[in-house]
Amino acid sequence: MASKVISATIRRALTNPHGAFSRCRHLSTAAAATAVNYEDESILMKGVRISGRPLYLDMQATTPIDPRVFDAMNDSTIHEYGNPHSRTHMYGWEAENAVEVARIQVAKLIEASPKEIIFMSGATEANNTAVKGVMHFYRDTKKHVITTQTEHKCVLDSCRHLQQEGFEVTYLPVKTDGLVDLEMLKEAIRPDTGLVSIMAVNNEIGVVQPMEEIGRICKEHNVPFHTDAAQAIGKIPVDVKKWNVALMSMSAHKIYGPKGVGALYVRRRPRIRLEPLMNGGGQERGLRSGTGATQQIVGFGAACELAMKEMEYDEKWIKGLQERLLNGIREKLDGVVVNGSMDSRYVGNLNLSFAYVEGESLLMGLKEVAVSSGSACTSASLEPSYVLRALGVDEDMAHTSIRFGIGRFTTKEEIDKAVELTVKQVEKLREMSPLYEMVKEGIDIKNIQWSQH
Amino acid sequence: MVFHRLSRLGSRIVRELPRGIFMPVFGMRILHRSYGQYLQSSPMLQRQTRSLKEALFSNNRKFCTSFSTTSEKGGEETEKINVIFVDKDGEEIHIKVPIGMNILEAAHENDIELEGACEGSLACSTCHVIVMDTEYYNKLEEPTDEENDMLDLAFGLTATSRLGCQVIAKPELDGVRLAIPSATRNFAVDGFVPKPH
Repeated sequence: MASKVISATIRRALTNPHGAFSRCRHLSTAAAATAVNYEDESILMKGVRISGRPLYLDMQATTPIDPRVFDAMNDSTIHEYGNPHSRTHMYGWEAENAVEVARIQVAKLIEASPKEIIFMSGATEANNTAVKGVMHFYRDTKKHVITTQTEHKCVLDSCRHLQQEGFEVTYLPVKTDGLVDLEMLKEAIRPDTGLVSIMAVNNEIGVVQPMEEIGRICKEHNVPFHTDAAQAIGKIPVDVKKWNVALMSMSAHKIYGPKGVGALYVRRRPRIRLEPLMNGGGQERGLRSGTGATQQIVGFGAACELAMKEMEYDEKWIKGLQERLLNGIREKLDGVVVNGSMDSRYVGNLNLSFAYVEGESLLMGLKEVAVSSGSACTSASLEPSYVLRALGVDEDMAHTSIRFGIGRFTTKEEIDKAVELTVKQVEKLREMSPLYEMVKEGIDIKNIQWSQH
Repeated sequence: MVFHRLSRLGSRIVRELPRGIFMPVFGMRILHRSYGQYLQSSPMLQRQTRSLKEALFSNNRKFCTSFSTTSEKGGEETEKINVIFVDKDGEEIHIKVPIGMNILEAAHENDIELEGACEGSLACSTCHVIVMDTEYYNKLEEPTDEENDMLDLAFGLTATSRLGCQVIAKPELDGVRLAIPSATRNFAVDGFVPKPH
């Protein structure tokens, strides 16, 4: 048994050109994709055999943890185990110091003061605290919330919950490119509007909203502006002063940090007041009681600092890869539609619809590429994404959308392989598709009268 | 007899002097007193007329803006405003607060249950009071960042909350109603009330 393992390892080491990488196969999937196919290296995943671990192209769902962030967290976990709120001994002071350093790192990324950062368990908690907290605090005078139809589920669910409590919510529609119509926003604001919540970068289609203009409108009408910037920080330049936001939700695991931590930026001047969701000893300015997860917070801070340093380089790299992906697919296929504005978009998100192909079958065919159709939250449900519906995409195109997420660690080989696999799958499915046949013959599908059996 | 004449003189002066120097409230009170003093002669009245004399012959600015109760005037009374505290059961307590005194001190002097754990050094939120009328709230100065930070920690915070130790009595606040919240951040679910030190 041992000799078999040894001989297999020797064979692998001698013949595999990417010798060093194959040892850390869990991190780099480029090697797995391009390596020669040995029988004992294939993986059995849910009854299907694939040649190696799939290519990870779902960066909007989550990102792998950056090794440098992991180093910072590891060190902190072992040595700084005190409760950061213990005031009486060195263990508490050390842990508190680590948390404060992380706070400064997060604040610098968004041009805020460290006193304005409240650490939470993630962007979902931050969104809940912001939306429900603000409206509950001002419930006597403010009864109206404005948000968009393309928000993240946690914001929409919080708004629905507020509706149950008696508040009124306006869900603004978006234009076909995914951007908010500023005139509609201006018209929707009422004297009793307590909050405007519009996300900075959409997680499904990647469009970047016109934040400065929205901030200006909110300032004119004196309405607090909340934004879910979980997909935006560390990727596009964020400035809370220029955007005039009163509240901003952030998440660590979207910027190569650990899962389970996020933050809420709460403006101090002019002060915005919230009713906290977590009551207790008054930690984090009374807005989020409970012992802070020191190590997660340290990881978040380290991730923010890295993001600040590498934002420009990452953008260049990812933009190159995005163009490679889109051009590669468009060269070989027609009927490919990009969902959302191409101009005002974050480069790492590419949401494509392939006409005459069914999305689920395409996903099942793309076994060796880890992508998503729509967002991770909507992947559990059978309905197509509500974001695409808000864009006005036809039902058949909405069903066929695939979201490619490109990140800091994606390589050219991964993109090339993804293009190859996608093109192969789409062509195979289109060959089988009767609709595609009809289109090729020149029949206009929209005018067909389907008969009921 | 002397007091009677002095108060008469004072009321005439008040009528003739421009309104800018004397507060209307102050002037009105003197006018009332000058009729009322026929009916009674109280120490309050004596103090009022004595203070009128001082106002006439001394710098007005000193009179209107004295901050500490232990000023060079010693035990002599300064102008007071009416403050109404509404405690957690809804009962109203009317007190008079000298101008320049902070609300926390005034409450302690009148044995009102307003806890002031840090004794007015902006390090806690236990003297949290809620200004019941928005127009009185707007008459107060903007809270500083430090006060706002402490207020964030207060129990039962509202949009018109202030820290009592930072509210200094001034004539515009006459008649202000301050509600005391039902609890402070120092948990006392057993009903314990700490004594002011």
